[in-house]
Amino acid sequence: MNTQTADILGALNPADSFTLAMDEEIRKDGLPGSYGCFALELSNTPDINVLQERIGEFSQRFPVAMASLQQRGRRFYWCKRKTSPQLFLQHHCPADQTDSEFQQIKIDQIINHKQTRETITPIEFHLLTGPVKNTFFTRWIHPFCDAPGISLILNYLCTEGMEQRQKFGPPAAESLVNVQLRKYRWWQKIGLLLKGKRYISELDSQESIQPFNTDQAPQRLNYTIKRLSKVQTEQVIKQARKCVGLTGISLYYIACLIRALDKLNPENQGEAYCTPYAFNLRKQRALSPMTGNHVCALFAQAPRRIVKNRKKLFAHLKQQNADAIRQQLDYAFLPLMWAGSWLPLAKYGETLRMSYGSGKERSSFWFSDIGRLDFPTYGFPGAEINAVFNVCQVSAPPALAFLSCIYQNQLTLSYNFVEPISNLLQIETLHQLVISELLGDSS
Amino acid sequence: MKQKLRNFIFQELVFVANPELFSDDDHLLEAGLDSMGIMRLIMFIEDEYGITLPDTEIAPDNVQSFNALEKWILRHQKG
Repeated sequence: MNTQTADILGALNPADSFTLAMDEEIRKDGLPGSYGCFALELSNTPDINVLQERIGEFSQRFPVAMASLQQRGRRFYWCKRKTSPQLFLQHHCPADQTDSEFQQIKIDQIINHKQTRETITPIEFHLLTGPVKNTFFTRWIHPFCDAPGISLILNYLCTEGMEQRQKFGPPAAESLVNVQLRKYRWWQKIGLLLKGKRYISELDSQESIQPFNTDQAPQRLNYTIKRLSKVQTEQVIKQARKCVGLTGISLYYIACLIRALDKLNPENQGEAYCTPYAFNLRKQRALSPMTGNHVCALFAQAPRRIVKNRKKLFAHLKQQNADAIRQQLDYAFLPLMWAGSWLPLAKYGETLRMSYGSGKERSSFWFSDIGRLDFPTYGFPGAEINAVFNVCQVSAPPALAFLSCIYQNQLTLSYNFVEPISNLLQIETLHQLVISELLGDSS
Repeated sequence: MKQKLRNFIFQELVFVANPELFSDDDHLLEAGLDSMGIMRLIMFIEDEYGITLPDTEIAPDNVQSFNALEKWILRHQKG
């Protein structure tokens, strides 16, 4: 067997390569790469033996969890390692720190830990224990899986019966990006590719507004989590239904953030706010695929003149989304991702980020909404899940990623920002503006 | 009509372990049909049946089950 291929566990699919290009871009900014993180805040210290067992079982079923990401020729592959990395790591609060200090310091270390792409473990499970606070913190690199995938992995770990856990997967499930691409004949792919290019060119005809001044060099990721009460969450959902209807909860969050950013820095240069958002190719409630990325991208863009009028902004974003789906622009990104996966990483990253016209950053911020999360109530070994939050690294510019999810009827907002380009004070002000928009207090 | 809707929803949008046990009155939103899925479903219906479903009518009452969807479509086909 060829030694160049004998250790290969699998190739990246076009959506994995897309996230790898962004990993390269984040690394170029001096940050650790495209980490995604998901935290489960637990009621007490869990049953560590059972947890360890389930993580061991998971890594046996999905060996790519222990792989090394390596370049062979132009492409990247998940390759076997000589020694298995440790996936489950425990950290206990030392006597000289408070629970909160310890959690903050440790999570900060985990999300800002720099390691080469080849040596990094695709997914790590950190258990942070202390006298009061216990957090199960999962960190993964994005080519390994996407946000819906991590939700499935955590659901797997929360599933008690072995027979039930076997329903997840199967490990060999095919990339949904490739499945979708195979539905098109070659000329249809070319048609979609050209449509996708036109779509991007149209977006690029307006210079994107950047939320922060990026003159300073990026140093580290910071984040802040804001959890709304059940009553507030209900009000937000009611407002979203009223303003954008049943079809656009995510668009409601995007619109509110855009308006808040515009109020925060109304003088910022540029013509329009533009944000990419992913749509999931999995069927809702499906238990597979768990690993790999199975998403495609769309953009929400709003010229500044429309942003000023709340009603018009909602109508604009909703129409834009409907038009994109009607014209199949959502799927038009698939052949572009396939073609991009053959480009050198640096070139691909540049194409993804930089506007054709101005050569400036296309995204005003990154956005991801996981929606409602549904973990089995008593599934986590020996502890209940009280709350959740997620965190992600982001390139600078735009130096801002906004994540949202709903757990136990509480909307959780995660603001991820790169220091010193932005800072906590600025984000606190932004959050006040966002809340006012979400609750519909602002007009 | 309902069979076409079933095929589209179960093949493209929502995973149900036993689709044959999912009745025409069962709740699609509770089964996992989300906002993006509803958008796709509406585009599918408009293309398939040559009708336009007004935004103002995209409400839980019209999309909550296969029976509700059929009624909604028929109303616009006749109108």
